Amino acid sequence: MATGSTIYITASDQNRNGKTLLARLIVDYLLLDGKDPFVLDTDTPDGPLRQFFPGRTKLAEFEKMQGRMRLFDTILAGPGRDYVVDLPQRHMLDFFKAVEELDFFAEAKRNGFRIMVFFVVDRIVASLKTAKAIFEVPGIDLFVPVKNENVGSLLPPEEGALVLPAMPRSLAIAVADRRFSMRNFVLGDDQGLEGADKLALNQFLFAVLGGLNGLDSEISLAQLRQR
Amino acid sequence: MKPTLILVGADKGGVGKTTLSRSLLDYFARKNVLTRAFDTENPRGSLRRFYPSITEIIDLGNVAHQMKILDTMDTANVPVTLVDFKAGNLSYSLDLFDRIGVLEAARNGVFNIALMHVVGPSIASLDEIGEIAKYLQGINYVVARNTINETNFFEWDEVTHRKYFSAIPKAQEINIPKLNEMAYEQVDLAGVTFKDFIDNHAPSGSNAKFSFVLRGYVRKWCTEIDAEFARVAILQEIVNGHRA
Repeated sequence: MATGSTIYITASDQNRNGKTLLARLIVDYLLLDGKDPFVLDTDTPDGPLRQFFPGRTKLAEFEKMQGRMRLFDTILAGPGRDYVVDLPQRHMLDFFKAVEELDFFAEAKRNGFRIMVFFVVDRIVASLKTAKAIFEVPGIDLFVPVKNENVGSLLPPEEGALVLPAMPRSLAIAVADRRFSMRNFVLGDDQGLEGADKLALNQFLFAVLGGLNGLDSEISLAQLRQR
Repeated sequence: MKPTLILVGADKGGVGKTTLSRSLLDYFARKNVLTRAFDTENPRGSLRRFYPSITEIIDLGNVAHQMKILDTMDTANVPVTLVDFKAGNLSYSLDLFDRIGVLEAARNGVFNIALMHVVGPSIASLDEIGEIAKYLQGINYVVARNTINETNFFEWDEVTHRKYFSAIPKAQEINIPKLNEMAYEQVDLAGVTFKDFIDNHAPSGSNAKFSFVLRGYVRKWCTEIDAEFARVAILQEIVNGHRA
């Protein structure tokens, strides 16, 4: 997706709308791309994203100062690799407030990072308003609105959003198993999927991974515009 | 501009008196104003730990030590002299300064004088304002409401306010904002100034490895304190008149 080190932040102002699935897809995409991403999961204590990538994930209790240090200091102490930050709804506003108070994005850029924020916009008007507010946070190199067809979205069709296509229920249940690896599926391991589900996942991943791949040129263009 | 003597005192320990002194010395350093400090926490001054090059520990009851402060006010070529009074000794110290003519000299215009009185979350703190009122004529008096340790400060309602401040019409209040406990402790442990902590400098001057997050919160806190100091006329006169 991107050629330099990037901090990928997945956010949403509502629960249960596919944000962690998106974070998981970004990590798998980066792994398939030969990168070595590290995950910071603030959805404690369960750490749903950590369940999929236990060896490359740190939990960060963002409501505590130690958690904030764990998140921001971990990134700044290890430049040169990609980071994926998964923000549950309850931490989202505090996260961006802390980012502004600490001037984190500016410091991250001084350390060679680019900042991409993925925001899942669902069917609630407040979700669009929050997306606009996050879009205006200074220092974001690329803001990507995300439309999850399984939950619906107020985003207009021409908005240029990243789309998570609708997934059959049986497939959604199968891929939610922490042992299921999207990456291994792409590499040819069906992991027991057959027939319609296998076809649906192929189509789903083709759309999402293709969409993520297209963001590379978008972030380059966005950075050119900023200069 | 004449030199200024800034006295920092509190009725008891642990209310943030030394923190205020450190904040003031930091503030002046950021504004390029030279300072010197006297720490009366004899023999182990906590202020000196953070500002070893400009701080001297003294015993206020010792005449030779009193002379160190006062006889050098106009010869030290340093616009700000800060005296950090020992905790709980505010009334005693002011009485002493009154008896040896310091307050009178300031009233006669030999130098400027300001008293920064740190009060904590108790009525006892306010009672001390009444006790020291008799010394405050001609002195720039600033009450610093401390919330540094994230204690809940009682609200000063209008009646309480009038009761304590009617005798001191020119008193000014500032709020010392909250600093996250962990950030405060880390600066303390590091034994550096707030500015050096923000700039990630160890006491030796070499690069340190302080947390970016904690540095950020200390920076934010300093910005908030700067805004409070910007409301104090005597501090602004010093900054405007004595940039190095």
